Amino acid sequence: MRWALVGVAAVVLVTFPYWSAPWVSRFATTLVRDALILAIFALSLDLLVGRAGMPSLGHAAFFGAGAYAAGITGQRLGTDQLPVTLGAAALVGALLALVIGVLVVRSEGIFFLMLTLALAQIVFAIAFQWTALTGGSNGLSGVGRPVLAGIDFSAPDLMYVLVAIAFVLAALVIWGLARSPYGRALSGVRENERRMRALGYDTARLRLSAFVIAGTIAGVAGALSAYSTRFVSAQDAGLANSVRAFVTVLVGGAGTLGGPIVGSALVSLIERVVPSLLPTDLRISEAILGLVFIGFVLFARQGMVGLGRSAYQRVQHR
Amino acid sequence: MSPELVFQQALNGLSFGALLFILASGLSLVFGMMDVVNLAHGAFYMLGAYVALSVVQSTGSFWLAMLAAPLALGVLGFVLEPLLLRRLRGRHLDQVLLTIGVSLVIVDVIGQVWGREVRSLAAPAGLDGSVALIGGVYPVYRLFVMAFGVALAAAMAVVYRRTRIGMLIRAGVQDAEMLGALGVNTNRLFASTFATGAALAGLAGVIAAPVFGVQPGMDTDPGLLYSLVVVVVGGLGTLSGAVAGSVLVGPADTFGKVLFQDVALAVIFAIVALVLLLKPTGLLGRIRIAR
Amino acid sequence: MIEVRELRRAFGGVVALDGVTLTLAEGERRAVIGPNGAGKTTLINTLAGETAPTGGTIRLAGRDITRLRSWQRARLGLAHVYQRTELFASLSARDNVGLAIAARRGPYRVFRAAPRAEYSEGEAVLESVGLAGREGVAARELSHGERRQLELAVALAQRPRVLLLDEPTAGMSPLETARITELIAGLDRALTILIVEHDMDVVFRLADRVTVLHEGRVIADGSAADVRGDVRVHDVYLGKAVTVA
Repeated sequence: MRWALVGVAAVVLVTFPYWSAPWVSRFATTLVRDALILAIFALSLDLLVGRAGMPSLGHAAFFGAGAYAAGITGQRLGTDQLPVTLGAAALVGALLALVIGVLVVRSEGIFFLMLTLALAQIVFAIAFQWTALTGGSNGLSGVGRPVLAGIDFSAPDLMYVLVAIAFVLAALVIWGLARSPYGRALSGVRENERRMRALGYDTARLRLSAFVIAGTIAGVAGALSAYSTRFVSAQDAGLANSVRAFVTVLVGGAGTLGGPIVGSALVSLIERVVPSLLPTDLRISEAILGLVFIGFVLFARQGMVGLGRSAYQRVQHR
Repeated sequence: MSPELVFQQALNGLSFGALLFILASGLSLVFGMMDVVNLAHGAFYMLGAYVALSVVQSTGSFWLAMLAAPLALGVLGFVLEPLLLRRLRGRHLDQVLLTIGVSLVIVDVIGQVWGREVRSLAAPAGLDGSVALIGGVYPVYRLFVMAFGVALAAAMAVVYRRTRIGMLIRAGVQDAEMLGALGVNTNRLFASTFATGAALAGLAGVIAAPVFGVQPGMDTDPGLLYSLVVVVVGGLGTLSGAVAGSVLVGPADTFGKVLFQDVALAVIFAIVALVLLLKPTGLLGRIRIAR
Repeated sequence: MIEVRELRRAFGGVVALDGVTLTLAEGERRAVIGPNGAGKTTLINTLAGETAPTGGTIRLAGRDITRLRSWQRARLGLAHVYQRTELFASLSARDNVGLAIAARRGPYRVFRAAPRAEYSEGEAVLESVGLAGREGVAARELSHGERRQLELAVALAQRPRVLLLDEPTAGMSPLETARITELIAGLDRALTILIVEHDMDVVFRLADRVTVLHEGRVIADGSAADVRGDVRVHDVYLGKAVTVA
């Protein structure tokens, strides 16, 4: 029964541009599309932050790498085929995550945070300065249209459909991982790594595998972003993007499936909708995001999902 | 590279190092005492530069700006610590996350209040000329930065080792909770430490402005990134660590940019990663690893 | 089963283990006693692989495990119950035990929930330690005695060959102590057990042999009765200096 509901919800989501056309503008489609890309990115980060207890501030490195991979393979190989470019993005995300992961996996807490930040900055610096490959500070323009089975997904509605399907798949993957013995093992590592080792778990390898999976999905998110805007900027791999994803995860609720999803809805709302409600010369959406973030860190550490749960429990106890 | 060029670049490296010291010492101090990596440190640095901009615009005095900016940042830090950080006492990771939020707010507000164009701040009259040195002329201001950095380091060393405050700081870096148990008002100590860290960042912002300009993005580059590099490489929590880090990173970065141009930034961070991997507390660091 | 030879562990200038040699036969119940600071916990931690020795060797069933990490030793059948409770606080008792069982089956199972067999095995273990009915309770909400029971359950769920118990009855009421002692006494005789204890009643109830540590060295080793009568052991507990034979 629950699966039927999920299925219906997925179909509703994927077909959004079509049934909503009479009521909402194209802007809404773009907004939801970008929110879904952020959601995929945040879901992948939550695997690290929320499940495995690895607070990474360098996750955008994989997002950016995936975006560049999709764009560059498309241009260099002269192909638009989605499996090729998306596959390249996933592969690059995975490999980069493996390389960085091997270095960071034995650190914890604040040191892990700083290390991921520093290593992601290397990736950013390379992207920013290797003009021949990435376009340098000008960015990579002319990212190809994704084509699959003869369908050109670059039309706005179809691009949305592509992103929405990817989102549904990503959410399913993350959900499946979380419920599995593997996901439980990750939670164990987060809760008490020492004990996990005493039980026979190779915790370093568990963390590394989580890091690689997260990096792969982030790479896919990056590719989707590249397809949507037809452009990749070095900032896609920058600190601001990593921070944005982290904020999304925390505000939504780390360690839950719904958390990164509602988090991206809220962040997208603040970044895209709020500015249109304010006078045009008052551009403080990032400040508002910062204040909201501070609020959650101080008063609602478990994010919106956590707030929802407490409210639900309070109602139940009446 | 000719010897004159080497000499020039060496001076550049040292003046950059001096600047880095002023900038990073605040971050190191806060981390050493409070176990918090203040990720808003770059934003404080940026705010200092913009405040200086306004002060110079209205009063024409660079020297006044050099007093006003650190003062303003110090007040801000003194207010922020009890308002925000103190509520999360003992939750170090969450405190770090909090500073991310603070950074977002400050940077955006700066953009709103002062605009998002590239600005500049001229060196004060008297220091804006050049002086004849080996290999040609060299900007006086950069020499001033070097001298100031050295003087500040010396002053901090004296305070650190010879005064009661310094003793409190040294003890606090070792074990702040113990200090509380001994009857020291840790609330005031932490607030003051955070304020000092912010003030130092603001001071760095003023002094750096004539050299590096005043523009969006300066909170990250050079602000936060370079402070992190210095503090991680040189050693978290100690004054000598901040000095060592600056003296190493300043010239390394300068020469790196000259020799390797494109790859320089990547190399710097590769060094950071290496140090974090091999000796997480930095070359001269002395902290206990907090959770 | 376990062979420890000339085990040394120094922390900077402090020598915690100074050439400890002991051998446990399979199925043996050995108690390690000694005054505070004798090195008992260091011995257990070194055996478990949490600390690397600075000298000496450890063999498990003939295999040299001195250089192996703690998780590798766990895979070889070594289970460790800590002195201070080290559970997964927010997880239920069932999930705590579940992690131990899943470790044996391999942690990289994805896209499949844990099979029924694992759940029933978990429940059986919990029942065997007396926690029937408390499976769904979060570990942090159990009483101290129940937590120690859960610790034992988690270790047993690993199906170990060797069990290292570090003061299992620490901080327990007499009733809880008696319950845990009987539990341990009733364990499968094929299981080799090394138990560090302060409570002499527990030691005499459980141990086949007793090893006495003092300042990182073994000063007595024999049956419980022998050790009880050993003058040097008395002296050590009374704080007098002792020369090692």
